[in-house]
Amino acid sequence: MTAFVTLAGVYNTPILGSVSGGGRIKDQDSMTTSRALDQFLSGVERRAFKIAQLGLRNDDDALDAVQDAMMKLVQSYASRPVDEWRPLFYRILANGIRDMQRRRTVRGRIMAWLPGRVDEEEEFDPIAEAPSHDAGPAKRLELDEAMGVLETAVAALPPRQQQAFLLRNFEGLDVNETASAMGCSEGSVKTHYFRALESLRAKLGEVF
Amino acid sequence: MTTDFEKRTREVLEESAARLDGHTRSRLTQARHAALAQLENPARNWWRSYVPAGAAAAVAVLAVVIWSGPTQPVAGPVEDMEILADADAPDFVEDGEDPEFYEWAVGEVES
Repeated sequence: MTAFVTLAGVYNTPILGSVSGGGRIKDQDSMTTSRALDQFLSGVERRAFKIAQLGLRNDDDALDAVQDAMMKLVQSYASRPVDEWRPLFYRILANGIRDMQRRRTVRGRIMAWLPGRVDEEEEFDPIAEAPSHDAGPAKRLELDEAMGVLETAVAALPPRQQQAFLLRNFEGLDVNETASAMGCSEGSVKTHYFRALESLRAKLGEVF
Repeated sequence: MTTDFEKRTREVLEESAARLDGHTRSRLTQARHAALAQLENPARNWWRSYVPAGAAAAVAVLAVVIWSGPTQPVAGPVEDMEILADADAPDFVEDGEDPEFYEWAVGEVES
């Protein structure tokens, strides 16, 4: 609730660069924008990572895609109204994921011509081993199973259906925002989302 | 209207996002801080706005250099006069012309 009230305040704040007053006003605006961006990014970063992870099926690539999207949003769109950030951020992220998928396809073709190589063994990372939020063992097992099958099914969707499903259902964007993030019409969003749901229902009907 | 299936899938995905490991959470926080640092230090990136213009200017200069080709040495006026006034090069002076004029011109240039 506190976060909501704070964000509501941010929504009423003039955007950076629109004030022609003295440096102090600009500094205040800059701080307000920085705080608003921090709140926005911390609010979306985990879901953004999951979306990138499902699209790229690689944690490091997913982290890179999210970081790139954060950098570009702050660099180019910090001065835009706050309610435009979410579709813009996911538009940048979707483009980043698509570019990585293309590069990976090209790299895969090149690597197919080279002798096999073994990835270096990763060093032990104590932070990575830290326990995360835990439910009871039975509940956790049930969730693990559900997550496994759902993520496999979502990852197997065609890219546009996957995007539409994750942005609409997981991120909670409305049809208009999803269309803006995907760079397509609202009708296309509805079609992709409907087909994604049909496909997932067919695969997961018994589990869910 | 949201169906039970949509609700259930959203719950599972949200739970999955909430259970990200410490390493991933830490890297996401670092990424956010790195992005926000751009706002605090915009001066570091001032030169980026000039990169496209600089690149265009460099390309234009290069194009002009390539288009014009290597420069040829050009003879100066003194050299021209010496050739014209040289007694061993009568071909430059046709019949009816006054060679003394050229000797006078050389003298004028040298003085």
